Amino acid sequence: MPHLNKKRFFSSKKYRREFLEGMFLISIAVLVNFVFGYFAFAYAFYLSFFRWDYITEPLFSGLDNYLKAIDELVKGFFGAKWYEVPFFMGLRNILLYTIIVVPIQTILAMALAAIASSRIRGSSVFTTSYLLPGFTCSVIIALIFIYFFSQRGFINYILNSIYPDFGYPDWLYSKILIIPAMAIVAIWGTSSNFAILFIAAMQAIPRDVLEQARLDGAGPVRRFIHIILPLIKPTIIYAVIVGTVGALQMFDLSFVMAGPQGGVEYSGMTVVLDIYRTAFAQLDPGYASAKAIVFFALMYIPTVLFLKKYGGGFR
Amino acid sequence: MVLSTRVILGVIAVIIVVVAVAVVLYYGMQPKPIETVVIRFSGWGAGETEVKNYEKVISEFQKQYPNIVIKYEPIPMMFHENILAAFPAGTAPDVFYVDSSWAAIFVSKGVLKALDDVEPNIAAVKNKYFDFLLQPFYGPDGKLYGLPKDWSILFLAYNKECLSRAGLNAPPTDWSSFIGGLEAITDAAGKPALVDHYHWRTFVAMALAYGAPYPDFSTPDGVRSWFNREAVKTALKNYMDLYLNGYVKRLDAGKTPYVVLPRDVDSGWGGEAFGKQAACFTLEGSWMIPFIRDQFPNFKYGQHWDIAPLPGGPGGKYTLAFTVILGINSKTKHPEEAYRFASYVTGKEGQEFLVVQLGHTLPSIRELATSPNLWPEHRKTLDQLTLYSNVYVWPTMKSEKAGAVISTIDSVIQSYIASMKETKTYDLSSLINDLVNSIISASF
Repeated sequence: MPHLNKKRFFSSKKYRREFLEGMFLISIAVLVNFVFGYFAFAYAFYLSFFRWDYITEPLFSGLDNYLKAIDELVKGFFGAKWYEVPFFMGLRNILLYTIIVVPIQTILAMALAAIASSRIRGSSVFTTSYLLPGFTCSVIIALIFIYFFSQRGFINYILNSIYPDFGYPDWLYSKILIIPAMAIVAIWGTSSNFAILFIAAMQAIPRDVLEQARLDGAGPVRRFIHIILPLIKPTIIYAVIVGTVGALQMFDLSFVMAGPQGGVEYSGMTVVLDIYRTAFAQLDPGYASAKAIVFFALMYIPTVLFLKKYGGGFR
Repeated sequence: MVLSTRVILGVIAVIIVVVAVAVVLYYGMQPKPIETVVIRFSGWGAGETEVKNYEKVISEFQKQYPNIVIKYEPIPMMFHENILAAFPAGTAPDVFYVDSSWAAIFVSKGVLKALDDVEPNIAAVKNKYFDFLLQPFYGPDGKLYGLPKDWSILFLAYNKECLSRAGLNAPPTDWSSFIGGLEAITDAAGKPALVDHYHWRTFVAMALAYGAPYPDFSTPDGVRSWFNREAVKTALKNYMDLYLNGYVKRLDAGKTPYVVLPRDVDSGWGGEAFGKQAACFTLEGSWMIPFIRDQFPNFKYGQHWDIAPLPGGPGGKYTLAFTVILGINSKTKHPEEAYRFASYVTGKEGQEFLVVQLGHTLPSIRELATSPNLWPEHRKTLDQLTLYSNVYVWPTMKSEKAGAVISTIDSVIQSYIASMKETKTYDLSSLINDLVNSIISASF
């Protein structure tokens, strides 16, 4: 009986050995995850109920920090001044940034992967050159782009060459343009990372399926829409989720491009930058932790809903 | 002859006693081993040269004090964040840098050891230093909580060619005539007269010169009352009008602006713009001097550019000082040894090597102001000290959250500057209102 066999297998010496070996192999990763992941999360949750300045004893403050964080969001929604509601400004900006970055980076990554997987001449050179930004530190990329985005920089030069009346906006000091500027840098830097995922997914598609479709008269576009896309759906979902979480947690680009102050009227502020400022400039790690937990909840719920609706293949 | 058991035992006993006495005498005559004390020291390590110089000073110190071992642990990035995180973890170093903007909170929270408790002759020690540099490091108990390792001063740097083209020998000495003369200098020199960041540093120096009191932002009422002063309002209006008239309106009229931000002339900061000769004046600190020597070797001090004190006003002439102390952790197990090290580094011997010879900053010990090794540019800034009514140490405000307050003030001013470029105007009362509310929001 299968049930008995299973029971016998789990109680066997071989299983016990495999189990121990498996536990040993994952132990370091699990330990690191516990210390820097779960413990840090649990400690932040604990801290969020206290008023503290790192030096003196923490004072229990109940839900005060949470009420303050929610109050900031509500006040921001109803039009409070930017300097009163950095948390709201950070959330508003990061949502806009995510909306710009995730779809473009996913589509671009798929297009790049399609070119790289094709047998077009020179595609390997193209792939290597395009994948290069993915291996470069984002801070370095941001520092280079600061010069590109300056008033007399490369971006304005190109745009004015195409459209002479474009003008010379100061991208990083413009309330409207700073988030698109960060999004451009992020898309340029990260879509190559996702392209690697899509290349792997596309190369895993059985060649005979595509060959059969070709023999049936399907062109490259139809093959892509009707065969490749459905087969790489789990990878697309993975890329969208990881891309969204990564975009929502963005810190480095805003710190470098908008500055630690969050830019003009906090137009370059992000939630994580605000949490950092609250913790280390305003010396309020309790409130910073509460903001982090509220932000986590805001991120977690839509992710779970998205996974529930589209994540069948992914899981 | 057969020895009896008693004799054998007696001989053994005598041998044991003799050996024991010999061992005791031998070790008793040996010099006692030195008990060493380890002192952990952290700074932010501004580059390889500074780290190497510290290592040299530490090795000299250890020759003089062989019982104190200094473990140098520079923190190159996010220094204060690291130090703050080290306190709850109980891993904070024994001696560490404390920037003047963090002094108020570190002293009030009991993080630092009072030097009065470890130095019996504290009055004589204090007397060696420039008094104004010690002011932010006194606690409410009147005790001193650290010795400044070096300092920088804010000054007015000017391009001599610009001035000679405008028919001037030296820059105007008060803010009104200085601002009033910028347009003529620009027209004569053909380049922007002033490059400024538009931030708290310049604004507070101006406000003090216009007669404002020292800012007390420790209460919301203190914030409101400071910004409600006529001197503050006048200074702020003149400062913002300068950009409106000198940049926004000049550009609209198709003329060269007479005031610019560093980024307006493709520079990261005032010193860079000045070194590139993109502007005639800048208000920068001592850190600009080694930068100009290093990056613009053909733009020579004395020949092409010179240093003047900041302009004054009806309230007097004021400048700002930027300093860092070597604080001693109040929880150190070895306060005497930690102080010995801190006082060596910040003392005459340490500063002669680390500060005067390196040439990056100014010595905080008065006696070293006449050192023959001091760079002439630095000497000039020290010679001009007597011209000031007072020198205030950064952050030039009374607030435990000075870092956050300065950040918010700079954000508000920058936001108004950015809007001004689009709207071609600004509203002074709403600017004051936003400054007051943002400071209160960031502090309380």
